[in-house]
Amino acid sequence: MSYAYLFKYIIIGDTGVGKSCLLLQFTDKRFQPVHDLTIGVEFGARMITIDGKQIKLQIWDTAGQEAFRSITRSYYRGAAGALLVYDITRRETFNHLTTWLEDARQHSNSNMVIMLIGNKSDLESRREVKKEEGEAFAREHGLVFMETSAKTAANVEEAFINTAKEIYEKIQEGVFDINNEANGIKIGPQHSPTNPSLPGAGGQGGSQGGGCC
Amino acid sequence: MLNRFKSAVIGAVTGIEVNGLNSGPDINQKNHLAPKFPYGRPHFLNLEDEEVQMSADHRLRPIIHPSKPLPYYAGYAECVNAGKSKWNEDQAVYRLGVLTKITTNDIMGPKKYTIPYTYYGIFDGHAGVGAALCAANQLHHILHEKLVDAQDDIWLEFSGKQQAQSKSRDLLIVGALESAFQEMDQLIAEDRNKYQAAGGCTALVSLIILGRLYVANAGDSRAVICNGEEYQPMSVDFTPENERDRIRRLAEEQPALLGKEFTFREYIRQPKSVDLGKPIMYRNAHMKGWAYKTLQPEDLKMPVITGHGKRSRVMGTIGVTRGFGDHDLLAVYQKTPIKPFLSPHPEVQVHRLDKTEKNEVLVMGTDGLWDVIPGSKAAEIACKALSIFSEKERYVSAATCLVGSARGSLVHEHSWQLKTGKQASVDDISVFVIPLFYYKEEHEDWKSRYLANPMDCDEN
Repeated sequence: MSYAYLFKYIIIGDTGVGKSCLLLQFTDKRFQPVHDLTIGVEFGARMITIDGKQIKLQIWDTAGQEAFRSITRSYYRGAAGALLVYDITRRETFNHLTTWLEDARQHSNSNMVIMLIGNKSDLESRREVKKEEGEAFAREHGLVFMETSAKTAANVEEAFINTAKEIYEKIQEGVFDINNEANGIKIGPQHSPTNPSLPGAGGQGGSQGGGCC
Repeated sequence: MLNRFKSAVIGAVTGIEVNGLNSGPDINQKNHLAPKFPYGRPHFLNLEDEEVQMSADHRLRPIIHPSKPLPYYAGYAECVNAGKSKWNEDQAVYRLGVLTKITTNDIMGPKKYTIPYTYYGIFDGHAGVGAALCAANQLHHILHEKLVDAQDDIWLEFSGKQQAQSKSRDLLIVGALESAFQEMDQLIAEDRNKYQAAGGCTALVSLIILGRLYVANAGDSRAVICNGEEYQPMSVDFTPENERDRIRRLAEEQPALLGKEFTFREYIRQPKSVDLGKPIMYRNAHMKGWAYKTLQPEDLKMPVITGHGKRSRVMGTIGVTRGFGDHDLLAVYQKTPIKPFLSPHPEVQVHRLDKTEKNEVLVMGTDGLWDVIPGSKAAEIACKALSIFSEKERYVSAATCLVGSARGSLVHEHSWQLKTGKQASVDDISVFVIPLFYYKEEHEDWKSRYLANPMDCDEN
């Protein structure tokens, strides 16, 4: 299907916070309680409409496991949006947000829109992180915030679509250079002023540090 | 199509790619023809078109692994090069095969036995994706036919009814592999004017059958068995440096193959025209030692093998001496055909699985891995991943970590670096991690069922 823009997203956060479940809920509208461990990176895609324009979201779902951290880092580059996910029933996943955010800021392009997501909002009885704490963290770091449930689908659409809206606004404001695919945005084939090229060698951004494992 | 041509040319100019420039007009002409197989990634990755495009992102070089488990959770991972060619020129394949044998017995009537086998192959293409795609799509079919041809004899030995003149099962299976490799290359040769220029590829195949592992290698991909942090090579690289003797002897026996500008002789130092008429130490292809001769104009020709290690070349052009394709390959400047010096013949190593330990894995990788990760390091990385992850993820994680280690990370815009700060691999990287222990168990099961009651061997 044709699209006006393609936005590239990355989903990050500790292992077990529900990154793959959020993606599955968004792309397939279903919940799978037992999910295989994500290794390296997995992909998802869905078309959405913003301002009457078809936008394709290409989503890179990363492994939360420490063993894959340096591989995950290499994927920040060239993402227009990031969903930074923690689990409201596990305080430590919230405590690790600062590390994730530092990683993301260091390795991504500076215009990347980051959405903070407190997932598993359906498990109110087991809540360890108050909604206000999430809001405060987001305010402090200039992020958009939402609580979601990949199980009930609450706010899942909104999380992905609001991030896209913010990216779209930045394009309208001219913040993003849409001709540079390193920003994680690609103009659809029929909308391109010039002949769109496939990803080539070289590019923007950099990543530091270790290899795998 | 044009892009493919361009990338081959760019590769040759930068010296990363093994060839390309030389066959320019030829490729241009053949680009009017369709490719025999459309470009894609290995079938078992189940990538959609969009994901195939994503997988070729040279800036991100995403590490792709199968979304559905392979048999016995065998691991696979790959990533594209850093820009030397538009597409990932490596290909990979696995197949489960069965040989069916019907024996007749006067008392019991006909009995049907099935012998299962597993096939893994990786093919590292150069100067295009065609040859590697042909090998990934066709070699296993050719091999299956060869195994079917040999299965009666293979069965005789296995069932202890071997006759005096019959050959051992190892020789028959090695022979099946060798003849399949020959035929694959022949098939690409026959296709050369029917389809788009195929380029060439290396081939590394592992066949597991009747409790033994057969590793057939033609090229510079490599297979090693890792057990904990120990490793045992299962293949030898075929590079111009390692095949110096074979190529120089062939050249000495058939000097016409060298054209006018190459020599099979080796000199102690590069002969220069100022030294004409002076003595120089040399050796012919069949000589072990060195001797003196008077330097003459014909000694100023370029040696057929130049350079050392990864930079060694045949006729200054190609850095690998075995594999499929390259039928139209010419020396970069001299335009001498190179194919006569290349060979599809594999070296086959046999490994019995009966003593295989729980953590033993077979790591198969293209040179994108081995250029930067030595065997000891590969064993260390695999061992660590195997210890961290549970059974289901273990082997895919090990493959992913191996590819990730060799790819490193992008620093300063264009430089891919290893953890150590050294330059990482900018080549296509493909890795299988195969748990051998399960194949040992599979065979023991099969054998005990066969011995207990041959009728039970009928799995259909």
